[in-house]
Amino acid sequence: MNRLGLLVRQWRNRPGRVIATVASVAVAVGAVVATWLSADASREGYRRLAESIEGVPSIDISPRETGRWDGSGVPKLIDIPGVRAVVPLVYKPALLRSEERRIREVAVGVDAGGLVDAGFLKLVAGRACEGPDEIVVSRTLADSLDKSIDDTLLFLSRRGGYRTMKITGIADTQSLSALSDGGGVVIDIEALGELTGVRGLIDRFRLVLRPGASRQAVLAAVNERLPETLHAIVPAGRASMAHDMLNAANLGLDFVTALTVAMAWFIVGNAMLMNVTERRRAFALQRVLGATSRQISRTLFFEAAAMGAVGAAVGAVGGILAAGPIAKGIGRAIRAPDFAISYNPWIVVGAVLIGPAVAVLAAWWPTRQAAKVDLLESLAHMAPPPENISWKLVTTAAVLWTLAVGILLAVVTGTLPPRSAVPAGIATTLAFIATTPVVLPLLARLLAGLVPRPWRIEGALALEQILRQPVRTALTTGVLVVAVSNGVGLGHAIRDNVDDVLAWYGKALKADWMLLQAGALGVSRETSPSAGSGLVEEVSSIEGVASVQPISIAIGSAGGVACVIVARDMPAKEQLPLEAVGMSDDDLRKIVDDGGLLAGTALAQRLKVKAGDEVTVSAFGRTIRAKVAALVVDYTAGGTSLFLSREAARKIFGIDSVDALLIESTPAAAAGLREPLQAVAKRHGLLLQSHADLHATMDRIINGIVGALWSILGLGFIVGSLGVANTVTMNVLEKRRTLGLLRAVGMTARQVTRLVVIESLLLGLSGCIIGILGGIASAWFIQLSSQPLLGHPVSMSFRPAVILSNLAAAIAITAIAAWLPARRAVRLDLLDSIAAE
Amino acid sequence: MPLILAEHLTKTFDAAGHDGSPVTAVRDVDLSIDAGEFVAITGASGSGKSTILHMLGGITRPTSGRVMLEGVDLAKLDDDALALVRRRRIGFIFQRYNLLPELSLLENVALPLVFDGMKESACHKAAMEAIESVGLAPRASHRPDALSGGEQQRAAIARALVTSPAVVLADEPTGALDTVNSRHVIDLLSCLVKDRGQTVVLVTHDPATAAAAGRLIRVIDGRIASDTLVGDADERAAASPARTVVR
Ligand SMILES: Nc1ncnc2c1ncn2[C@@H]1O[C@H](COP(=O)(O)OP(=O)(O)OP(=O)(O)O)[C@@H](O)[C@H]1O
Ligand SMILES: [Mg+2]
Repeated sequence: MNRLGLLVRQWRNRPGRVIATVASVAVAVGAVVATWLSADASREGYRRLAESIEGVPSIDISPRETGRWDGSGVPKLIDIPGVRAVVPLVYKPALLRSEERRIREVAVGVDAGGLVDAGFLKLVAGRACEGPDEIVVSRTLADSLDKSIDDTLLFLSRRGGYRTMKITGIADTQSLSALSDGGGVVIDIEALGELTGVRGLIDRFRLVLRPGASRQAVLAAVNERLPETLHAIVPAGRASMAHDMLNAANLGLDFVTALTVAMAWFIVGNAMLMNVTERRRAFALQRVLGATSRQISRTLFFEAAAMGAVGAAVGAVGGILAAGPIAKGIGRAIRAPDFAISYNPWIVVGAVLIGPAVAVLAAWWPTRQAAKVDLLESLAHMAPPPENISWKLVTTAAVLWTLAVGILLAVVTGTLPPRSAVPAGIATTLAFIATTPVVLPLLARLLAGLVPRPWRIEGALALEQILRQPVRTALTTGVLVVAVSNGVGLGHAIRDNVDDVLAWYGKALKADWMLLQAGALGVSRETSPSAGSGLVEEVSSIEGVASVQPISIAIGSAGGVACVIVARDMPAKEQLPLEAVGMSDDDLRKIVDDGGLLAGTALAQRLKVKAGDEVTVSAFGRTIRAKVAALVVDYTAGGTSLFLSREAARKIFGIDSVDALLIESTPAAAAGLREPLQAVAKRHGLLLQSHADLHATMDRIINGIVGALWSILGLGFIVGSLGVANTVTMNVLEKRRTLGLLRAVGMTARQVTRLVVIESLLLGLSGCIIGILGGIASAWFIQLSSQPLLGHPVSMSFRPAVILSNLAAAIAITAIAAWLPARRAVRLDLLDSIAAE
Repeated sequence: MPLILAEHLTKTFDAAGHDGSPVTAVRDVDLSIDAGEFVAITGASGSGKSTILHMLGGITRPTSGRVMLEGVDLAKLDDDALALVRRRRIGFIFQRYNLLPELSLLENVALPLVFDGMKESACHKAAMEAIESVGLAPRASHRPDALSGGEQQRAAIARALVTSPAVVLADEPTGALDTVNSRHVIDLLSCLVKDRGQTVVLVTHDPATAAAAGRLIRVIDGRIASDTLVGDADERAAASPARTVVR
């Protein structure tokens, strides 16, 4: 036998302890792997969700002042990381004829062949169009006209004559609309220019981004290279708000992942601590017999590495298996049945490599303690001395608190990016845990006071056990603290953010039906086919329509920052579609009626303007200085928006288009409006969307986000409970002697069970209370740190349901976790437990 | 040169008293033990016997004073060197709790050699010899919990001897044993002294056990109260104390 043999003997002698330790590592590694994979899957899911709503992520380049230009001045951009293609686009409202039907449609001029080859434009049939006599139509249009390949369409040219064009291809509607913001036909870019007299001019360059590329990063890089006269913006659209929700959700995902890693640390650290402390006496004896401390620590590190490797391998496989159903759930939530996690075999290899390192690190402190153990301990019949709360711990807590608050302040003031809030959040959680040993005795005493009178003895003994080992207790509760603060914190943050967006949404787009301009925004100045009040009147006259509200949307810039300019009137009596920051509805209504300019909070944040400051606003070649009358909470184009009344917009910028029409029906007439409105939409080349459609889209986004986050949270809770169960089991294993002695001196089995369960409950409740405080703190953190993203504070609510459900879950978990080992402890042979050593 | 020379040994435990005041367990003890001596230390419970033994064996360091073992000042050694001294030059025997339950007798006995990095076969051979010398050869492969208290203690003696230490330090080796088993253990130790010239220092409460030794040290309140040479154990009945030093 050698030293390894000695170690193996110890393992064989106490397989329970070995299994519990390895299981802890496995649970921790499994949690990290599963969370990591699911978080990745969620991010991918969010991305797809956003893509399916708004098309492939893209960035548009256009002149700051004028409408069309000759495309000059655009530097090379294709080499910017994340850019997949640079596509020149021309939009042209066009009149088509098919037999007796006349259709208004937005024609898109592009190099169709190139786009089809690159996969940006998907054809369901035929081939790309070339030259002046060929055209590609969207499938929807082809269906509605009952056209197929090789049929012809008449295209009304500028000179008034009709040109016969052959349909060479039918495009996937989704793919075409992603490319063209709702255009319905594609014509070669030069041919379109020829036909419509805008030869050589284009509306914009569209930069198609690679999947996963950061739009903000590309945007910044592009703007860097552009000359003064041009600017790059994120295409405005109804999808931008989805992006903002996703931003907050991604922040949440980062939080969950990081907290799971922290939780894993606690679990592994605790397991290693217990694994070692249980054998203190044996180590002391070995040292008396001549083992050096180095021999002991080497053996223990080797053991930790071995357990870490096995645990990590098991955990990685388990984590991958657990991530599968979570990904499925996410897939279901975003309605992408083919959605699956990309399994990387390196995860297992990586885990097996990292696992031992983590285990050795976690074993560091207990091993040093064991190697330094007082030799007398092995000789006297003396329990290990009670641990003292060292000033080190208190200092650590103080440092962590300072760090957390410092980072948070930097994030809120915009010195650091919002993502830095993640380490700050982790620091807060750790600070809470480091503070645990300090407040726990007090808390445990208080809670022990609540133990019913007949169980006072068990309560007192349980309390004694807890107070004796503050470090271990802190680690055990740490697992719970993380699980609960995760649950409470994210539960609050997610719901608050989603509610915030929903509230805006409900206000801003309150309508039974919406008619949307299918063409691109910003070109409406020239010849909007549906300009003026003709359309409004036409829709108003439909029976069952109660009110019609026109909205114009244009792209402009404010203080050099690209923004969306929204012109709409405030309803006289109803609830306002916008919420002003620090102002009553009546005041806001008055400001808008007086022609005042409102700025979205995100825009204000970027320009660093407050209500009352002046900004330079440009749109359609006109530049004015105007005072920002108020700030409003808005999610249009991520909140980089300006609002004014339609009349003011007409006067100042000449904006008079109708880009969207919000239609409210009289009660009970809503459904019946589809037919007549569809007809209007067809005539004017508009897109009809019902409230229900819109809601379905919103629900889909929200369910996707919330579902994914909850499943990951649930995972965290399961892991937390496994961690607690494991710790309590090890606690009981280690206290076999004490428990045996208690029984030997006359405690009944029932009393011993109660003692164990009460101890566990005291731990659980203390952990929960600290965790809830930590959770509220971290919810507040997420809120504060997403403020720079949103530009306005999201009001934080207090949600007793979230808190109570977390509390109940944690109590149930700790009680159940204690029950099994308690039963075991009771069934131990009395003699065995007394002789155990 | 004496085998063990202790000068002005004092040990104070910080804040051990009930009121948190320090306890001085051993005060200013001078002691010299030659090779081949069989020394018994007796005294009331709590008088400091064990503490003296622990300091002699390098288990604890004295608060002041020093211990020289074979001319080496233990105070000058670092923890690792001290471990080496314990491993190679000292054999410990305790009242109980000193065999590792997960190991067989043979493995328990071989433990100090294992820490010394000795080859397995050599370990095995030396341990087997030690076990034979205490008469436990047939039980070598058994676990400690399968043995009686007396047998366990004999195994512990074998473990103390396996490295051929300069001195065997025994703290109440018979404390947990009945008369017959006590006798057995004491006879074993006496034989070691007589046949091999092994130095043995033993702490005991039991007069019968103390009587086996050639020199009797009484400790009262952390000080040596008397140090009596009782001569050859066989002559003890007839002879009066050969030399009595009363301090
Ligand atoms: N590790 C320790 N910490 C604090 N005080 C100690 C420690 N070890 C011993 N003492 C105290 O030192 C004094 C001497 O103890 P020691 O164990 O040497 O006595 P002893 O003579 O061996 O007693 P016994 O015959 O009961 O074994 C006692 O008062 C004891 O309480
Ligand atoms: Mg003693």
